[in-house]
Amino acid sequence: MIAMIGRRVMSTLMVLFGVSLVIFLLLQLVPGDPARTILGAGATEDAVAAVRAELGLDQPLPVQFLGYLQGLITGDLGRSLTINQPVTEIIIPRFQNTMVLSAAALVICVVVGIPLGILAARRQYGIFDRIAMFTSLAGASVPVYWLGLMLIGVFALNLGWFPTSGMSNPRNPEGGFGDLLSHLVLPAFAAALVPLAVIARMTRSVMVDTMEQDYIRTLRAAGVPERSIIWKHCLRNAMPPIVTVVGLQIGYLLGGVIFVEVVFSWPGLGYQLYTAITQNDMPLVQAGVLFIALVFVLVNLLADTTVGLLDPRTRRKVTA
Amino acid sequence: MAPGLNVTGRRATLSALAGVLTAVFALSACGANSAQGDADEVLIIGIESEADVLDPQVAGGWVTWRINSQMYEPLVTHDLRTPSEEAPVPELKPGLAESWEVSEDGKEYTFNIRQGVTFHDGTDLNAEAVEYNIRRMWDEDSPQYSAAAAGQTNFVWQFVEDVTATDEYTVVVRMSQPFSPFLRMLAQGGNGSTGIISPAALEEHGEDIAEHPAGTGPFRFDDRVRGERISLVRNNDYWGEAPALDGVIFRPIPDPAGRTSALRNGEVDVIAVPSPDSVQALVDEGYQLSDGQPPHVWYLSFNMRDEYMSIPEVRQAINLAIDREGISDNLLQGTTEPAYDIQAPANDAYVERADAYGRDLDRARELLAEAGFEDGFTTSLMTSVDGSGQIVPAPMAEFIQQNLAEIGITVEIETMEWISYLGRWAEGAGDVGMMQMSWGMDTPYWLYIVTSSDMIAPSGPNVGYYSNPELDEVMDKAITAATEDEATEYWQRANEIATDDAALAPIVNDRAPYILAPGVEGWVSASQEWYDLTGVTVNPEG
Repeated sequence: MIAMIGRRVMSTLMVLFGVSLVIFLLLQLVPGDPARTILGAGATEDAVAAVRAELGLDQPLPVQFLGYLQGLITGDLGRSLTINQPVTEIIIPRFQNTMVLSAAALVICVVVGIPLGILAARRQYGIFDRIAMFTSLAGASVPVYWLGLMLIGVFALNLGWFPTSGMSNPRNPEGGFGDLLSHLVLPAFAAALVPLAVIARMTRSVMVDTMEQDYIRTLRAAGVPERSIIWKHCLRNAMPPIVTVVGLQIGYLLGGVIFVEVVFSWPGLGYQLYTAITQNDMPLVQAGVLFIALVFVLVNLLADTTVGLLDPRTRRKVTA
Repeated sequence: MAPGLNVTGRRATLSALAGVLTAVFALSACGANSAQGDADEVLIIGIESEADVLDPQVAGGWVTWRINSQMYEPLVTHDLRTPSEEAPVPELKPGLAESWEVSEDGKEYTFNIRQGVTFHDGTDLNAEAVEYNIRRMWDEDSPQYSAAAAGQTNFVWQFVEDVTATDEYTVVVRMSQPFSPFLRMLAQGGNGSTGIISPAALEEHGEDIAEHPAGTGPFRFDDRVRGERISLVRNNDYWGEAPALDGVIFRPIPDPAGRTSALRNGEVDVIAVPSPDSVQALVDEGYQLSDGQPPHVWYLSFNMRDEYMSIPEVRQAINLAIDREGISDNLLQGTTEPAYDIQAPANDAYVERADAYGRDLDRARELLAEAGFEDGFTTSLMTSVDGSGQIVPAPMAEFIQQNLAEIGITVEIETMEWISYLGRWAEGAGDVGMMQMSWGMDTPYWLYIVTSSDMIAPSGPNVGYYSNPELDEVMDKAITAATEDEATEYWQRANEIATDDAALAPIVNDRAPYILAPGVEGWVSASQEWYDLTGVTVNPEG
């Protein structure tokens, strides 16, 4: 177990290094000069050159990248070129907002998706199964942008239950948890739908497989109650692949949440990152992408560890 | 099989779900109630993008100056309480300078600084504070010099030789040559501005001033949560007429549909840049439309280094082929006016000439034939897909593409996202035939900025590399003119030359529509890109 975690931490570091390098190279392709973006159209050539020198943009690319890595190791992610603030001060609050939204969406995915899959698997090809699987297939195919607008139209504009946008009521910024919750419901549902559908379908197919196993037939023959068979024996055995899929869906959530953030004006990392990319704000983009990569890798590490805990076989394999 | 047990399980799940939902509603209701208990009169404006830094001298773009101009004031400012219809060109009025004198040779400006004004941090405004600020934007040798502030405000200070505070409330600015647009340039706010910042705050926070704004304006900084809001509160010690509102909140809502929804749901009181197709529906629902004629030209620059665009007949033919009325009335649903003069109407040098480039396909084809291109040719048009004040650039470019196809010109459209586009645009046209931009000022000096030989990209915004010695000479005379009337005359001549030679293709003038909730009163759309909120009130009951 410890060896596995150790290996995964090493590979995490490699992934983060790779991500930094790729982003660094990709940003070189964005047109325009960051120094000119900062100084505006009226800047003289001398002023632009001075700012380029100050930012180190006149150095060769490998030197720029090494300088960035050096800062990273000492915990200094740099200052934003456009906002002129340490990037961590900009990224962390936005990142927290994205995590709040993603976490809420994940809770919906798990709390709704897994039971939906189990119920559908109980009566394969039954009416509930057909309805649940058809809805989830439809759900997985709906564009998030459209879904967001529909949710706003029905639940915010027509029924007036929830606000259409933002994360808090600016007329009353101290609205507290209730205010946050009312702003969270619609975007969380919009973000959750696609991964929820995937999780439900995955749960169903794994459960169906498990229920066909010999030991389940034996349990049924022994007269063990169906409820106990499903929740105790089947689910326990089906859990490892489901946990892996949930882990992967978190990656999808973090990607998909960017669209949700735009539709609902959610002040998360997605929109900030989008602006930073278009402004060629290298330190900000680097830090944002690193944060997302870090979470993605950590979540998958967590999922693998959980699978190890749930399934003694993987544990043995690793320690052997 | 134990169906009974399953039913209980399902029931438990359902009641748990019901419990959670009830809690959500109960808690959200709490939020709503406490909001109603809030008696403060706060106006919430849904704006089209996140603002730049709250450092008025450094920030670029109208979106940010609309916020900064509530907190910061230049020496000279505009009267923005008079609507466009009454004042097509916004009047200048004293800002932090109570009055000013210009020397006879036009080279020396003496500003009498307003007395009894304090910055939001309690510092007194005096001549020294003004000199300190000007040196931040202009004097490379001063400790407070900011390269970013200098870059953004270069057009204002380029001829300045010296700045002196001659006594406690007098500042003298000396220039190397007369610069007739100087006063209007002081009042500008699109690319940087000359808003005066508390020198004490600048000393304390340096380049971090944007996080600690301290100006003299009618509103003071309260709070900024990036991506969510910028809140300002009334400055009770304001030297002028204090605003009626207790505060203003600017909420960035980048999605146009999102802005409309937020307005319909009462989450904001005003929205900027409604999508053109939503305006009529909102008006029918009882919302108010406020628009004006800011100095805002959506135009094309021709690449003078291109084999086709360098020929005047080709440029004239393109100008004659574009259906400006169609773009304004059909595509943009009346949210713009067709533009025939390169200067916007909100400009003293504007010449009314709807006939100059009214649509005439026959004449356009003739001109192309004269130039030897009766079979047409293929060229390219580069445009952003969004951006501050760009209206809907991609559909507009497609409209122009169809128009030009009618005279045999095939246009390939290249699009780019706004900020990338700005960077690309500033480099100059390169190998592109035409480039789009939306800009303008209430000083005719703007024409100089976009067409003068001194401003050829990448050293300036003359991105089409236009160079015309005749035009340069007339514009130089306008800039160095001793009186404003004389300057205006030269600027109008410059307009004629630029129009005859088709230096640029003006397409439309934006009407800058805002949609207001029924309870908003006193909102004025003046002939400017930004607004004065001191006369606005809001009644949430509508």
